[in-house]
Amino acid sequence: MSLIEADSNEPQAEPSSHEGIDRRTVLKATALIGATAVITTKKTTVLAQSAPPPTAPVLCGTTPPVSPPTRPFIDDLPVPPVAMPVNLNPAPTQAANIAGGEAARAPHQRWSQFLPLLRYRMVAAPSLHRHHTDLLPSYMWTFNGKYPAPTPLNCYGVPSLVRFSNRLPETAQNTTFGINEITVHLHNGHTASESDGFAQDFFGPGLFKDNHYANAYAGIDAFGGIGDPREAMHTFWFHDHRAAFTANNNYLGLNGMYIVYDSKDPSHELATPGSLRLPGYYGITDIPLILTDKRFCAAANGRNEVFQVVGAGAPGGDKWVVNGKIQPKFRVRRRKYRFRILNTGPAKAWTLTLIRPDGTQAPMTIVAVDANFLQSPVVLADRPLDVQVAMRFDVIIDFSAFPAGSSVYLKEATAQNVGVVTADPAPGLPIGNVLMRFDVVNRESWFPPDTPALPTVLTQMPDPIVPDASFQWEFTLVNGQFLINGLPFDHNRVDHVVLKGSSEEWTLANDVAAGNWNHPVHIHFEEGRIVSRRVRISQNPDVFQDVALRPEELGRRDVYPLPPQNRVVLRMRFRDFVGRYLIHCHNMNHEDDFMMARWDIVNTMAELTQRRREIDERRMLAGLAPQYQQGGLV
Amino acid sequence: MNRRELFANVTGVGAHSEAARACSGADIVPNVPLRTHENVEVRFYDDLVKGRQVLINMMYASCESYCPAITARLVEIHKALAERMGKDLFMYSISLKPAEDGPAALKEFAKMHGALLPGWTFLTGDPYDIETLRFALFRHNHIKLDLDTQAHTGKLRIINDAINRWVHVAPFASKATVLQHISWADPPKTLEQRLEDNRRLQEQIGKEVEQFGYRKVI
Repeated sequence: MSLIEADSNEPQAEPSSHEGIDRRTVLKATALIGATAVITTKKTTVLAQSAPPPTAPVLCGTTPPVSPPTRPFIDDLPVPPVAMPVNLNPAPTQAANIAGGEAARAPHQRWSQFLPLLRYRMVAAPSLHRHHTDLLPSYMWTFNGKYPAPTPLNCYGVPSLVRFSNRLPETAQNTTFGINEITVHLHNGHTASESDGFAQDFFGPGLFKDNHYANAYAGIDAFGGIGDPREAMHTFWFHDHRAAFTANNNYLGLNGMYIVYDSKDPSHELATPGSLRLPGYYGITDIPLILTDKRFCAAANGRNEVFQVVGAGAPGGDKWVVNGKIQPKFRVRRRKYRFRILNTGPAKAWTLTLIRPDGTQAPMTIVAVDANFLQSPVVLADRPLDVQVAMRFDVIIDFSAFPAGSSVYLKEATAQNVGVVTADPAPGLPIGNVLMRFDVVNRESWFPPDTPALPTVLTQMPDPIVPDASFQWEFTLVNGQFLINGLPFDHNRVDHVVLKGSSEEWTLANDVAAGNWNHPVHIHFEEGRIVSRRVRISQNPDVFQDVALRPEELGRRDVYPLPPQNRVVLRMRFRDFVGRYLIHCHNMNHEDDFMMARWDIVNTMAELTQRRREIDERRMLAGLAPQYQQGGLV
Repeated sequence: MNRRELFANVTGVGAHSEAARACSGADIVPNVPLRTHENVEVRFYDDLVKGRQVLINMMYASCESYCPAITARLVEIHKALAERMGKDLFMYSISLKPAEDGPAALKEFAKMHGALLPGWTFLTGDPYDIETLRFALFRHNHIKLDLDTQAHTGKLRIINDAINRWVHVAPFASKATVLQHISWADPPKTLEQRLEDNRRLQEQIGKEVEQFGYRKVI
């Protein structure tokens, strides 16, 4: 059979995994004052595909094991390598290249307007990853053989395209609950539907799919050019979104970070016009911290396999993993650093504090939430950072506050299983609660000097959103099944339709008394702003009380934590693209349990009215109340 | 190999023989003894699940709201997949109230709902065994929900033991969607079949895009 993707452009070189920041790395990176600072080290490794894939894992049953002991602070914190742009063969096309093996999709919207200049290739395939020196390698499913995946560094105004190729094994027998089909979502790109990783748009091994990312700000129609710069987002991540298997496939490693720069937040720290001058050298002073929890089987067959029973009934991990390593250490110079903290789930929320050697809390400063700059930095001096699944927090830590030779610790509120008796590294800080350690040293002459003091104003918010309509999404649990507005996810069913160019006020309601569950609700496509948060203080009659919003809740965001009995009111716009989008709980176990709903953006008022009528007719047939009044206008 | 790896391997020997078994259906699905609506004793894993593609739901005969509605939906599903039923696809409805539901009561329930169909078995058994089964198949890890048997009628579990695949679906999703989810546990397709499916899907998308300007139906 004439297949499919030619490999003529291989081998594709990726920088080797991070081996500590040395002088050469820094000189190379800081010498490049371009759109993207590309870090290369002398050692480059050929992409893993040329090597035979690892043999399938032999798993350790269904009883959750206690992970083997791992000594703290043995491994250096790795930084995911920078993804290298490549030539793609066959070349990407606006319509799906079915003959060439591309998965079926609608043609790319705004293709000629945003012809992709940067092209990346991400190959989903089995590979081995070692989570700790004390552990043997584990069988994972990764992009380009790396966990976390290589990070594409992009620039607003330079459209990109990522070809996701599925080279997962034909039969996924031994992974028990993973599935060898993928659909990749760029969270939370302002992305056309056909490139948005809709949960049902998955494809099997042997096929590929081109996701087109305009790398433009929202508001292209209204503002022209590349949109409204006030809608800038910087810290994205991409992950598999396969319906019913998102938790499993992400747990196996199918995710990574994706960064987009602009003149305000460039890839360097120099005094260029408009730059905020935040710590900005990727891998040197600007570091992703990608968090997940894992559980490992005892050593067997030269491996410590990851315990693969995940999902609603799964126990969760007992090892905390940062950028693919357990309890790593990271050498920092006495200057400011930016950390892009990302929780890849599947279900655990993180409650983080920075701890000084004397056991007291040191401040961290939040500059961005879910990739969006806050209006002003928010200093966390006496409360923790609450990172729910899929949230991103860009925080600045100023290590000049600590003497050279000292260590500071990132603490997680719940303890992991270390398994090695270790004295408390700081008073009142048990070793199990330490996520990672920062070792503070003086800045060498070749290391970039500190950035200026943080600006007091980071961004200007877009114009206030005046909603054209309002809508409520109710997150419930009935007879053991998660539901939104009384229904489980059905990719063939649309639960709400909005008009392109309009804006709406959405209420997210978590009224389940029984479940007592928190739902980190994620809405695809555009960023919203929280208007208010209310909590029910009495059931009968219903009485709600306003809850004061935390300063970090006042910015733009795409994940809205929804604790029990809470109602979050938010406003968002729907611009520039049409198609199918999702709203879902990003606790991936709930998401896989179909706490997800499809909503569509349509082009015309006539279509909107027609589609809303269809929804109400269907609801009434099912014995549910209609959603809209006035023929679908409200 | 360094000392630590050597040590890790040595300590792993005991676990190795244990782990040499793949994480297969026998480890996951309890092999409890049950009784069918025809009053035949069966072992759940060995006789009903092993090597098969199966649909499993929980119900009880005196349930008046959810169970009859779900059973009606399952009858529709059975009709749509009648050619496969009893051959390579099987349906099991397990009683949540085994103390009330003897084989006769289950047979009566099945008869009343037109569910006495080939390949569809209603099951009861020892309450402890049923509880074990329910936890293995439908667990939420939430103490209140997991102990509330009423909270377990709203989900359909789909297992293809031959390929070790578990899927689930809410039976109240549309019939088309339930069928699609069942197909997620179908035996794996060859690359040729996948490419052919992909071509057909693209044709459908092409029609939708022509008509609506975007993908509407799926």
